[in-house]
Amino acid sequence: MTEGAIKLWAVIVSVGAANFLVRLSFIALLANKTMPPLLTRALRYVAVAMITALVLPMVLTTTAAPSVMAFWPNAKLIAALIALTVAFFTRSTGWTLVAGMAALWLLQYLAA
Amino acid sequence: MLPAAAALIPFGLVCGVDAAAVGASPLAAISLSAIVFSGAAQILATQLYGAGAPLAVIVLTCFVIGLRLAMYSAAMAPHLGAFPARWRYLSAFLLTDQAFAATISRFEASTDKNRALSHFVGGGIVLWGGWQLMTMSGYFLGNVIPASWSLEFAVPLCFIALLGPLLRERPAIAAAVASAVAVVLLAGLPMRLNIVVAGIIGIAIGTLAELALERKTAAQEQFR
Repeated sequence: MTEGAIKLWAVIVSVGAANFLVRLSFIALLANKTMPPLLTRALRYVAVAMITALVLPMVLTTTAAPSVMAFWPNAKLIAALIALTVAFFTRSTGWTLVAGMAALWLLQYLAA
Repeated sequence: MLPAAAALIPFGLVCGVDAAAVGASPLAAISLSAIVFSGAAQILATQLYGAGAPLAVIVLTCFVIGLRLAMYSAAMAPHLGAFPARWRYLSAFLLTDQAFAATISRFEASTDKNRALSHFVGGGIVLWGGWQLMTMSGYFLGNVIPASWSLEFAVPLCFIALLGPLLRERPAIAAAVASAVAVVLLAGLPMRLNIVVAGIIGIAIGTLAELALERKTAAQEQFR
């Protein structure tokens, strides 16, 4: 094995191990423990807060420092807001995908 | 969870394309995606490896990117406590953004934790298998989907589909708004730390909003 290949395997094993340990962390630590009520409350907001933080950078498409220009005119952001409205009312992943992709294609077509 | 699996197609392809581009062998490429099973970590690991970054830097960066998984781990913990350890380990391995987002409300809503767990593990295995298929396709065939189709947009759309229905109560809306503002303002943080920090801020604001709302309704009851 070349030196590069050895390093690549070291990357695979250590990144894999680190990722698994992060995933396991609280599942292992908090299992079978009674949690303080405030923590149980807080954990209910993990999904809404984390999904928002994950999605927004994906639709703002700029990696540079934040600026007003990142918001306008941004086809992905507009399509994402349309999709969010559809998701709110229909609760359907299928319709959200259809509405979001259709909106993006239309906006890109209009901008071209 | 099927739409989530479909949305992963363009993402998985990119991971495979990246692995081929840095000269990984097919076995290394499939091992990377089979063991790490996280698109963000895989893309970062391959790109940093390709750029010649030291091992410690690669592992640390991927660890920081993976910190959001610790939040999911905490949210899943109270629902998994009753299950044998091997199920908890398996669930931890299958814990991804998509699997978590698609199942956590099921765990919270259902009294039948067995059903929620089978949905999570079953869906997780499907996602894992599909992920391997896609990274391999990307590795051998290249990115077969034209970039002009913008299919990668399906990834945020799947999260948006899960986010929309969560925004019904005021504390949840407060959590989302706080998290959105924070993630933009903190965009300058290194290693995409803004995502996990914004998440924590959103969780705190949501919890505070819930407590404040409760106090307000309690006060109104008193005056009636």
